[in-house]
Amino acid sequence: MINQRSFAQFLGWGIFVLIVGVVLPLGVRQYQVALLTEIIIFALFAVSYNLLLGYAGLLSFGHAMFFGVGAYTVAIVLNHISGLSFFGAVMISVMVTTVAGFAVGSLLLRHKGVPFALLTLAFNALFYAIATKWHSITGGDDGLSIRLPDINLGFAHLKTGDITVFYYITLLIIGSVILFCWYFTRTAMGQTVLLVRENEERMKFVGYNTNVSRLILFVFTGFLAGLAGSFYTLHYQFTSISAISIDMSTIVVLMVIIGGTGSFIGPILGACVYIYLQDFLSDITDRWPFIMGLIFIFMILYVPRGLSGLIDSFGERLRGRWHLRSSVEMEE
Amino acid sequence: MKAMQERKDILQVRDIHKDFSGLKVLTGVDFEVKENEKHAIIGPNGAGKTTLFNIISGKYKPSSGSIIFKGEDISGRSPHALTRMKICRSFQMTNVFKELNVFENVRAGVRCDHGLRYNFLKRPGSIPEVNEKTEEILALVGLADAGETPARELSYGQQRALEIAVTLSTEPELILLDEPTAGMTREETIEAIKMIDKVTANRTLVIIEHDMDVVFSLADTISVLHNGSILVSGRPEEIREDQRVKDAYLGEEAG
Repeated sequence: MINQRSFAQFLGWGIFVLIVGVVLPLGVRQYQVALLTEIIIFALFAVSYNLLLGYAGLLSFGHAMFFGVGAYTVAIVLNHISGLSFFGAVMISVMVTTVAGFAVGSLLLRHKGVPFALLTLAFNALFYAIATKWHSITGGDDGLSIRLPDINLGFAHLKTGDITVFYYITLLIIGSVILFCWYFTRTAMGQTVLLVRENEERMKFVGYNTNVSRLILFVFTGFLAGLAGSFYTLHYQFTSISAISIDMSTIVVLMVIIGGTGSFIGPILGACVYIYLQDFLSDITDRWPFIMGLIFIFMILYVPRGLSGLIDSFGERLRGRWHLRSSVEMEE
Repeated sequence: MKAMQERKDILQVRDIHKDFSGLKVLTGVDFEVKENEKHAIIGPNGAGKTTLFNIISGKYKPSSGSIIFKGEDISGRSPHALTRMKICRSFQMTNVFKELNVFENVRAGVRCDHGLRYNFLKRPGSIPEVNEKTEEILALVGLADAGETPARELSYGQQRALEIAVTLSTEPELILLDEPTAGMTREETIEAIKMIDKVTANRTLVIIEHDMDVVFSLADTISVLHNGSILVSGRPEEIREDQRVKDAYLGEEAG
């Protein structure tokens, strides 16, 4: 019963978001469409991070290592393999990220809490150092530009350089992956992740290898971040050292905390707010990072459950008031 | 009695030692459990009963000695591996998924037993037998009507029943119950024992218990653990008459 209801909910929301996503770019300027594309990409990045933090209770300070590996791999393969297709580059990129996730994850899987957080930070620093120093491959501080290949579907030729076309490709691919993540939280594996956070010891004693479940989740979230990273490069037709920096890891932590770790939708809200805010403030003032910093401090101090928590409690208050009124009417 | 002697040993505990940084908790524990036997382990507080359970169930590794289950040495294996070999334990302090409802608590083990552990596509309820089995176990322990209740909202007696339901969820052949009636009133204890007797029919049970009436009414065999080793193993009437047991355990309890 519960599953069926949430499955209908999942479909309903998915269709709603897709319709909004399809209609939205029709009435706005190109610049806004590019911003929307960026939001979708970061929404996936944030959702993947929240699967670690919100669902598994694992605080990572190194999620950008996978975002960055995805971003760089796309750029490197497009530069070195002539005639590589759009999807070919994305495929190679997520495969490389998955391997990286497995390698790092195998070394981390026995750790939780503070050691886990510090190790992810250290690994991110390592990946960052590789990207800076391996100039011949990564371009070092200069970054890498790409020539974006068009998509030839046989019956249609998609000009990926067109902002609106790229938006729809992103919406379709990244949007469906985000929907799959939502579904994932309701699958056996998704529930296993939640149960391990809730009571790891008991999970072992009912037959789960909790190290394996942590590793699978870690690789999966790395894969998702890598996919987001590869679209980041494709979107800008450029990747720089910032994609794999600790700053990028911090950004995803902020997005998720602003949006709220307690719900699936929270990180998506967080990504929207972060990117719009950054865009809006950087138009007005050069001091925008300062103002954003103040806003984040305020959010963390006074809205610890994030935007989705705020919406929830607002909804509860509304419902509560309604319940109160109807129960008063009943008494009368 | 004769039929019982011909039964095979399902579990053999051989010379188990356990030191915690110099503190010798177990100093050579030996006993056997026969198939379908109900075997109680008693002993004064601090005798090492729970430590022994932690070793059999894989929570701790023994310092030396071996645990043999169905002829295979299983000492030092991890809990999840032992669970999949059909050995499952309960905890003295209720150790369930507090934020989840009763049904989900039990289904976690049932779906694991059906191979639905890390599946990315199937939902936990997608196999009908998983839900049926879960309902069946809830009915067995008397929680059929509490399926939707969050575990943290259960009464104490219900929490203890859930603890046993979670233990049964993986269809164990060897069930280890660590003081299942701890903290219960007299009436609750009698009910709980009836239930345990029912749910462990055709399975092997090893139970740690404090309540002597419970032990003597439920167990086929009793082992007395004292100062880190087994003082004596035998049928309830033998244990009741044994002078060493009276000195070591019953005397202490009375005093």
